[in-house]
Amino acid sequence: MTKTANRLQSLRDSSLSRRNFVIGSGAAAVGGATLLAACGDDDEAAPAATTTAAPATTAAPTTTAAAETGVGTTTLGSNYSDEKPRNALAAAVAATGVDTIINTIDHNTYQENFNTYIQQPDDVVAWFAGYRMRAFASKGVVGDISDVWDNLPGMSDGFRSAASGLDGKQYFVPLYFYPWAVHYRKSVFADNGYSIPTTWDEFKALCDTMAADGITPLCAANDGRWPQMGMFDMLNMRINGYDFHVSLMGGRENWEDARVQNIFSTWEEILPYYQPDPNGRTWQDAANALGDKSAGMYLIGTFLTSNFDGDTQADIIDDIDFFLFPEVDPAYGQDAIEAPIDGFMMAAEPANEEGAKALLAGLGSVAAIDAYLSVDPSVVAANSNADTSGYNALQKKSAEAVSSAKFISQFLDRDTDPDFAANVAGVGIADFLATPGNIGTILADVEAKKQTYTFE
Amino acid sequence: MSDTAVATAPPATKHKGPRVKPMRLLLYTFLTVMALAWLVPVGTALYNSFRYWEADTQPNGAFSLPETLTLDNYRDAWNVGEMAKTFGNTAFIVIPALFFTLLLAAMVAYACTRYSWKFNIAFLVLFTAGNLMPQQVLFQPLFQFFKRMPWPDILSDTDTGSLLGTKIAVILIHVAFQVGFCTFVLSNYMKTIPKEIDEAAAVDGAGVWRRFFKIILPLTRPALAALGTLEFTWLYNDFFWGAVLLNRGDERPITSSIAVLNGQWASDFNLIAAASILIALPTLVVYLILQKQFISGLTLGASKG
Repeated sequence: MTKTANRLQSLRDSSLSRRNFVIGSGAAAVGGATLLAACGDDDEAAPAATTTAAPATTAAPTTTAAAETGVGTTTLGSNYSDEKPRNALAAAVAATGVDTIINTIDHNTYQENFNTYIQQPDDVVAWFAGYRMRAFASKGVVGDISDVWDNLPGMSDGFRSAASGLDGKQYFVPLYFYPWAVHYRKSVFADNGYSIPTTWDEFKALCDTMAADGITPLCAANDGRWPQMGMFDMLNMRINGYDFHVSLMGGRENWEDARVQNIFSTWEEILPYYQPDPNGRTWQDAANALGDKSAGMYLIGTFLTSNFDGDTQADIIDDIDFFLFPEVDPAYGQDAIEAPIDGFMMAAEPANEEGAKALLAGLGSVAAIDAYLSVDPSVVAANSNADTSGYNALQKKSAEAVSSAKFISQFLDRDTDPDFAANVAGVGIADFLATPGNIGTILADVEAKKQTYTFE
Repeated sequence: MSDTAVATAPPATKHKGPRVKPMRLLLYTFLTVMALAWLVPVGTALYNSFRYWEADTQPNGAFSLPETLTLDNYRDAWNVGEMAKTFGNTAFIVIPALFFTLLLAAMVAYACTRYSWKFNIAFLVLFTAGNLMPQQVLFQPLFQFFKRMPWPDILSDTDTGSLLGTKIAVILIHVAFQVGFCTFVLSNYMKTIPKEIDEAAAVDGAGVWRRFFKIILPLTRPALAALGTLEFTWLYNDFFWGAVLLNRGDERPITSSIAVLNGQWASDFNLIAAASILIALPTLVVYLILQKQFISGLTLGASKG
């Protein structure tokens, strides 16, 4: 009784006609079975798709619940579960004009559970660019949206390639990004007469000066085993170049190679400037050292400012600036930057493909990202035509840094097999930070474990 | 029990008083310290749930004196975690699951203890062995089975076209997994009820159903109450099945509310503490009301087998 009432209420709430949903679920059942076949690691699953694909419900003509865009109702799976991003995404979706039901799942469960979620997905799903998108694209569980890209003004070629699968088709629409750079306090640099280092030697000299001035030169956190992946990525791209980085992430290089050894020997040069025992420190705790000026510099994403309260700690936020990671090898200069891109994919067989594509095109548009930024201004629009008048200094700088970069990486755990990143590379980096002298055995171990991954 | 064991460890016959006293003192000091050590995390969480995170706890530390005390965290946790909805989802899952688990387990236990047939013992062993299987092992087969299992919308709370994604699926899994343990406990309990009671009822003309519902079930009530509290806590605390089977965030049980409050970059731990306390309340209430049964429930079925 109450169940029926609840259901009616929820249907009313979502302004979704029951009939429409029935068709949708039937199609989802079919789609789900096909997806399953695609997810299976062998071909045997394929026949199962055809035999079990019988829809549980009978289709009825779609006559109701069409939105003003005329493409019907679509669904969006979202991991924007924090309050601000959640409201911002709702604003962005509203700006697209497509009638959409947003299914918000807490970001951690969503990401860890994505393999099962994508077998029964919403029409459009929030995800990340780069390897993590390509892995699903090559398994056929997300849909080709190249035709959406035919009409996405303002998206640069860099974003198009970040949105492309290995087959060259597009599977992803970027919404925003946030670069990683070396953050510092403007007032600390001004008061002590420090200048921005652009080369590795200048960087180390600055660390020495800071240490002499009683400031811990480098904030260092590695709780969760991801923060220091950023340092690894930057050192690799500065020492060995972007192409080698991509190749290493793709599992095509030997981790015992002299070039990889070189990353860690260079890294070891700055370890004395780190806060001690980074493996046990959360990135927020490290950020607090920048907040109270006991530490001088911090390689982290621009989400750093979210650690400080917008009202009571506005002075700290305004005082934070960043510079690009210094050049190590002049052959590569500062040509690469790490800037993870967040955006959306389409399910391989969405219940409402027309609606899904309309929503994706809308989310890639200027109107959507403008609406997003008006609620959550901590990120930078992927669309170059977006309204940047509301940008603060950091956002402007971020946009410039990324648009002038020759190469954009996504972050270690997005650029390679996520399991390899978490359980092999991440562990290796943490071990290195604990006992730098063991790097030989650590790399041998990483290389041995790497053999168990296919990187497909 | 343990304190007497410790106190009389060296079987002291003479000079009982002075010898025992320092041991007692030691024991009580140890117990007090342990009790406090266990209370520190809970107490800290409770205390900080009344403080602001960014302005107070984060800069000053969790053990500092408060700048201001507030109930804002509780309000925010309730609203942001959408607890009204997730509490409802949990009730929708836990209450039927609990009811059917106990009913079915009691039936199996009755059949296995009151009737002798060839596979009597094998059957009980099977149910008991089910307890030893880690639930996660069965996740993939169950997931694929549910996905292929057409399910009429009329019989479910959400329209997904298959059993996957419905709370019905979660209820079914809970019933299936919990029946094993409950059967084990209930059959041990029913063995202690004299068979003559059954026989007398049968002589008086009561059929099987009548004997089960009117005679045995009422006599099993203490065991059912104990199991009810235990099972309620277990089912209530489940996060795994709710998270992997329910694809819609707003269908998920109360345990997912904490996950929602965990920020992508920065987490407000005082808010999470407030949410944890709100979520722990129902189990605490059930425990306090049925305390006696809960404790006897922990040893239920341990002595007979």
